[in-house]
Amino acid sequence: MSRLAQQKSSPVARRDGGAVRPPGDSLLTPQDGELPTRQMDRMSLSYSTHTDSPATEVCPVCKSTKYMNPNLKFLVNPVCYHKMCESCVDRLFSHGPAPCPIKGCSETLRKNRFRKQTFEDIKVEREVDIRKKVAQVFNRREEEFASLREYNDYLNDVEDITFNLINNIDIEETQRRFKNHEDKWKENIVENASLAQQEQMLYAEQQKAEREQAKRRREEARREEMEERKEAEATRRDMLRRLENGQDPEEVKKERAAVQLKKRQNRQDAANRQSQLKAADATNGSSSFVIKGLKNKKAKLEPEAPVDPFGGLTFEHSYFSLQDDYVWEGLREAKRDPLIAAGGYDIASFTGRALCEAFSGLGVMVADEAVERERLNEPETLSTTKAEIAAKDVKMEDPF
Amino acid sequence: MAEHVAKSPALDVPPEPPAKRIKLSPQPKKQDADDSGPASPSATPLVADLAEQLDAQERNKYVKGKKLGSGQYADVFSAYLVTDPTQLVAIKKIKVGAEVKEMGISYDSLREIRFLQELDHPNIIKLYSVFSTKNQNLNLVLEQLPQGDLLKLIQDTQNISYTPADVKAWMLMLMRAVHFCHANFILHRDIKPNNLLIAANGEIKLADFGLARSFADPYQPMTYNTITIWYRPPELFFQAQFYGGAVDVWSCGAVFAELISRDVLFRAWPESEMNMVKLICEKVGTPTEENWPGVSKLKGYVTPTEIQPVRPKDYWLANFRTIGEIGVDLLMKMLTLDPKVRLSAEGVLKHEYWTSAPRPSKLEALPRKGGGIEVMGEDLKRRGGEVPGKENERGDKVARKIDFGAAK
Ligand SMILES: Nc1ncnc2c1ncn2[C@@H]1O[C@H](COP(=O)(O)OP(=O)(O)OP(=O)(O)O)[C@@H](O)[C@H]1O
Ligand SMILES: [Mg+2]
Ligand SMILES: [Zn+2]
Ligand SMILES: [Zn+2]
Repeated sequence: MSRLAQQKSSPVARRDGGAVRPPGDSLLTPQDGELPTRQMDRMSLSYSTHTDSPATEVCPVCKSTKYMNPNLKFLVNPVCYHKMCESCVDRLFSHGPAPCPIKGCSETLRKNRFRKQTFEDIKVEREVDIRKKVAQVFNRREEEFASLREYNDYLNDVEDITFNLINNIDIEETQRRFKNHEDKWKENIVENASLAQQEQMLYAEQQKAEREQAKRRREEARREEMEERKEAEATRRDMLRRLENGQDPEEVKKERAAVQLKKRQNRQDAANRQSQLKAADATNGSSSFVIKGLKNKKAKLEPEAPVDPFGGLTFEHSYFSLQDDYVWEGLREAKRDPLIAAGGYDIASFTGRALCEAFSGLGVMVADEAVERERLNEPETLSTTKAEIAAKDVKMEDPF
Repeated sequence: MAEHVAKSPALDVPPEPPAKRIKLSPQPKKQDADDSGPASPSATPLVADLAEQLDAQERNKYVKGKKLGSGQYADVFSAYLVTDPTQLVAIKKIKVGAEVKEMGISYDSLREIRFLQELDHPNIIKLYSVFSTKNQNLNLVLEQLPQGDLLKLIQDTQNISYTPADVKAWMLMLMRAVHFCHANFILHRDIKPNNLLIAANGEIKLADFGLARSFADPYQPMTYNTITIWYRPPELFFQAQFYGGAVDVWSCGAVFAELISRDVLFRAWPESEMNMVKLICEKVGTPTEENWPGVSKLKGYVTPTEIQPVRPKDYWLANFRTIGEIGVDLLMKMLTLDPKVRLSAEGVLKHEYWTSAPRPSKLEALPRKGGGIEVMGEDLKRRGGEVPGKENERGDKVARKIDFGAAK
């Protein structure tokens, strides 16, 4: 396994001392967000003999082979990384979590966590998973550190932890460090993740905008070229026509030169305008550049309006205001009825609805409604549907 | 404007949905006292003739394309306007069920039409118009939501990863939709990830109002046999017939948990009511008179033999720590056993979770299925699933909404 950051090395003894850990004694529970750490040792044992060519790959559960069944697809579950074929996964895990069928493996696996193997070597697959997980939690940014030195130290620690997890070294201590970091930086992790995502989005958007601009420019250039060619052709024909009509060749030549000068000037103006536009584009676009490479985290988060959970929606009743309680004979029983309360029926919502319905008629302008009805009956608005026609005529009791 | 949007006589609907839409549990006999028998489909011939003409006109406005999906009771097709092929819609063609012979129209579609035409909110699917075809097939013309549903995103663990900020954004849109329904006195009663469709711009749209109903009057019993079983709250398993918005909030809580752990929270298997109650007891706590006064009076309440005390915050934190302590606090309050104590939709929106860090993701930052950034950029140019330039006409296609005070 590779170590990406080759910085100060940790004591050798620690690495050698990595004991084989019994499965299932991980600090983290087997859930999403779990570190795939277990069973590597046993797994590499049982699979070292099975890394044969894809054509002769055998499902360890049902013994199907690619040779017998060309559609055979293998899946792994990032809990124990035991490989099995898709139909075995369907058969064994469709009814909910079940134990891994590989002998000696007692992990409980869920169907929705099975996935295709991305890398041929299962060890690489697992290493990539671990690196992803670590990167998700250790996502502090350079700008959070006072000096480059401190940032490098941090990167070094991260690489140590990654290395240990991959190679099952000091696993308990390492997982504890992992978890400590995760707890301590919880909010920062979440914040940085969304920052990273925003940056990625912005970057992609900006790249797209650049591509579009380039395309626009190319099209513009092509259009100009065509126009120029057309113009040249037109002037040539015009000159010929005049010569045919017996005009003085010198005169024609002079006139043509004047026209061409004027046109060239026009084109020059247009080109100037274009480059000005281009410059303006570039400065506009540069705002996203700044965000992409920005060092200061604070500056990056432009002030945004606070989140309004209601999305600007308010429900104000123009004709009445609600009281907390209404003393009304019809409701007294309901208020006392334990059956009504226990199910969560809310009497206040009834009084609210009743009042709303009682008062909503006040907004009706009968004359407007009549005009509306007239309009609906005119032929050009016949596009209305069955429901609407009736909607204007039939008054319906609440049938539900 | 009238407070009841009046509708065609054919839209006179009998109360609760028939067995077909019963969510995986046996149909209790005669349990709805509001079962007032079928209404008469009494359109006068004159109206019917005119209606037929109009139907044809409406129908001929669209060119039907490929199938977008199908559900228990409908097939959904892509379609576009004859006059402008860039204007896409979805046509939901209701499958003809048993009750159609009786009624001439399916109950579910009536519920759907009835409520969708009243609700106009950015996070609720829009109904543009309705028409029927020869064999009484009812077609709802809906805004097209081409990005699939939330379930597909949750399940695609291989290709799609998302952050706590994304979960917050999705939940906020869901809660706004639910709050809007409740503020308009409508219960949805089928909130689950596959009824949350995703618009081209990433917005979540609450869809499938086939089980919706308006809030009941006091003493007007409702069915407890509603809401897909995994998302059904404990009071319905105990056969409460008087309930309120809290039932939808429970479903939202289950969706919240599912978004975080990418697994159904109460996945009872086999899907029996008994197993569901067991799971709820195990994961939330056993309902007792102490934590839920009055619960033992409910018809379906079974006195428990062993009691799992209500799970403390630490238990929830261990399982859902990615959304932070504040998020877990909200989750617990949405999945509170006693519906009176459970937060209302409004209460949920007032929780500090929404305004604390991280900020909910922007629409354009939300992960979406397939189609990379390029495709998305194209989609972003159009707003939601909206038919461009049709905003003003929409009001004329659908019977007018109720004016609920000054809902601004
Ligand atoms: N407006 C839309 N735009 C795009 N696709 C849609 C739209 N409405 C529905 N679909 C697709 O069609 C499927 C079925 O739709 P819907 O859930 O409304 O039908 P249903 O019969 O009520 O389904 P269910 O089985 O959930 O009861 C959805 O899962 C979705 O994939
Ligand atoms: Mg559905
Ligand atoms: Zn197999
Ligand atoms: Zn295994």
